[in-house]
Amino acid sequence: MSADKFLQIENLLFTVVMLLYFASMILYFAFIAARREKLAAVAEILQGLGFVLHTAALVIRGIGAGRLPLTNQYEFATSFAWGLCLVSLVFVLKYRFQVLGAFAAPVIFLIIGYAAMQSRDVHELMPALRSNWLGFHVSTAIIAYGAFGVSFVLGIIFLMREGMKDQSFLDRHVPSREKLDLIGYRSVSLGLLFLTFTILTGAIWAERAWGSYWSWDPKETWSLITWLIYAIYLHLRLRRGWRGRAAAIFAIVGFIAVLFTYVGVNTFLPGVHSYA
Amino acid sequence: MQFAIGLLLVLTLACSVGSVINQGQTYEYYAAAYGERAAGAIMALQLDDLFHSVWFILLSAFLCLNLILCNLIRLPSLLDLMKREQDPAGSLGSRGSVSLEGVGDPEGFFHAMGFRSIRTGQGEEGPWLFSVRNLAGLWGAWVCHLGILLLILGFGLGQATMEVYTIYGLPGDSAAIGETGAILSIDSFDVDLREDDTVEQYTAGITVRRPSDGKEESAQISVNHPATLFGMKFFQNSTGWAADIHIKKSGEPLQDQVIYAGDYVPVSDMPDLVVYLNAFYPDYVNSPEGGPMTASSSLNNPAYLYSVYYRGQILGMNALLESEELTIDDYTVTFDNPRNYTLIQIKRDRFTLLALAGGLVVMLGLILAFYLQEARMWAVRGKDGTWTVYGACRKGGVLFGERFLEEGKKHGAAEPPQKQEL
Ligand code: HEM
Repeated sequence: MSADKFLQIENLLFTVVMLLYFASMILYFAFIAARREKLAAVAEILQGLGFVLHTAALVIRGIGAGRLPLTNQYEFATSFAWGLCLVSLVFVLKYRFQVLGAFAAPVIFLIIGYAAMQSRDVHELMPALRSNWLGFHVSTAIIAYGAFGVSFVLGIIFLMREGMKDQSFLDRHVPSREKLDLIGYRSVSLGLLFLTFTILTGAIWAERAWGSYWSWDPKETWSLITWLIYAIYLHLRLRRGWRGRAAAIFAIVGFIAVLFTYVGVNTFLPGVHSYA
Repeated sequence: MQFAIGLLLVLTLACSVGSVINQGQTYEYYAAAYGERAAGAIMALQLDDLFHSVWFILLSAFLCLNLILCNLIRLPSLLDLMKREQDPAGSLGSRGSVSLEGVGDPEGFFHAMGFRSIRTGQGEEGPWLFSVRNLAGLWGAWVCHLGILLLILGFGLGQATMEVYTIYGLPGDSAAIGETGAILSIDSFDVDLREDDTVEQYTAGITVRRPSDGKEESAQISVNHPATLFGMKFFQNSTGWAADIHIKKSGEPLQDQVIYAGDYVPVSDMPDLVVYLNAFYPDYVNSPEGGPMTASSSLNNPAYLYSVYYRGQILGMNALLESEELTIDDYTVTFDNPRNYTLIQIKRDRFTLLALAGGLVVMLGLILAFYLQEARMWAVRGKDGTWTVYGACRKGGVLFGERFLEEGKKHGAAEPPQKQEL
């Protein structure tokens, strides 16, 4: 099969995946509006199916392009949505927490929608990008961003929970404040570990490609800012009285920094990462 | 810790300021961009080179000091905590954060909770079991802080002592590498193009000689594949065009030499007259807007965009093909033999490995802190032969409690779960 054929299949799959994510988002909304648990179960299945096909689409694109599909804005955006879906499904299953899936669905849909607006052309890579470290760098970033996306969603759920009436429909489906805070902490932990790995592999790669492992390029600086924000989150949680609300706010701010690092830096600030 | 949070916040803000203000510009640039008052403030606060400013470095040094003190102060209490957590006597008298009564198979319960080695003993009230898991997890924050310290130290020392040189040239050229006493020769330089005219790879063959002991080492370097020779790292950094320039005076050859795009050549017998090669176009065409551009990177129609200066005043600027001559009074100038030159960066940073080690230690610390949650379990046998099992996990909170109750029920806890607050 020719490379073009693979890319055509990927294109088709991508559309199907978008529709599945969209349908799951709508069903999750309906679940909250109509208060029917069945709807959430179906939404979860659609999201899971979307995730499986999404995985297939990425693999097929990788075969078609003859390299890891992680090098331009489209590929990174679709992988970002994939990473968020992966981490959120893992957390939904691990903590039996469907409402997390419901709140993650619009974020996943927004990111894959952003991917849909990017050019899907496959280009040969410039020599500096042809490195195995790029693969490590970007795949760890996807997990980190996915985990931070989940902690963002958890932060929002946490803040919303404060306004919920006891024994309301959502209240029964959302864990206690303490548990929410702990799950949020777990997702930030996962994110921070992988962000550290991302920065480290990025530094190793930059050293080999450009001769300098850290040069305060805006993207580097923003990844450090993100890292620092989550470090502050960790220390805040250790202080009595700051666990919970303040931590939730920092998890939200942290993800905004993540998004800025990802989209904003390329748009607003100059640097070596802007070639994507 | 309050202080640490404040310091981290200030650093975060400083970094965002440094990323928003374009670094390394002049007062005039900032005045045009932000107004004169802001520009004055930027220069006074060294925000034009924030990441190398005195105050940013002091702030980082403060962070290091803080980390050192914090780790030193916490070392004895951590060692003490290790000892206490391992001592069954400390736990057996207490009630843990969760407990279950009537457990029939305590060992199975312990194993299911991830506790492997179980100690047994005989107390006044009967036999007991005790186990502690993931003691190393207690060291997570400590190790992470140590790693950050090493990382900053490695980076800072590297910045302070690093030597960087750049040498550009064509195959056959040699040049001394700064004051290192070594000489770099460029043996070859190849640009591999793909079918679609984009660049696959730039590869330079280099030899470094050290006249002091006559030693010589050679290597091939390409983008992403640097080489280390004599303790220095050589990077294939970038490339550009060079060509031969021929100057004749009254028809007689006067001067033949290499000229690099972006560089100039003074006329040998009249140095006030300067030929500048602004740019080189391998496949020269006019762009739709009318300006010069290149249609491909193949040498189909080489053209040289030059300008001529006399005592700093521009005399003219134009594009010259190889078949054409530029005439200035008695002088005629031609260009030919265009080829790619290589720009090689040479670097000696003795502290890169320290910074890398720091980064790896940070990773290790985070894994310990997040994924090895220290916990204890102990059990005491009651008169009826069943066990009361207790558990405690510093960072597990309700998640540990829930898992404890769930696994406990699977292992025969008869009584309904009893929750206790510590
Ligand atoms: C001024 C610098 C810093 C100081 C004085 C400081 C101090 C502390 C202290 C006292 C703790 C509590 C330890 C415990 O309860 O086990 C802690 C925890 C921790 N710190 Fe720092 N810290 C600093 C910077 C950082 C930075 C930049 C990071 C980067 C990620 C970091 C990562 C951690 C981690 C991972 C923990 C453990 C948190 C947890 O387990 O939830 N620290 N720090």
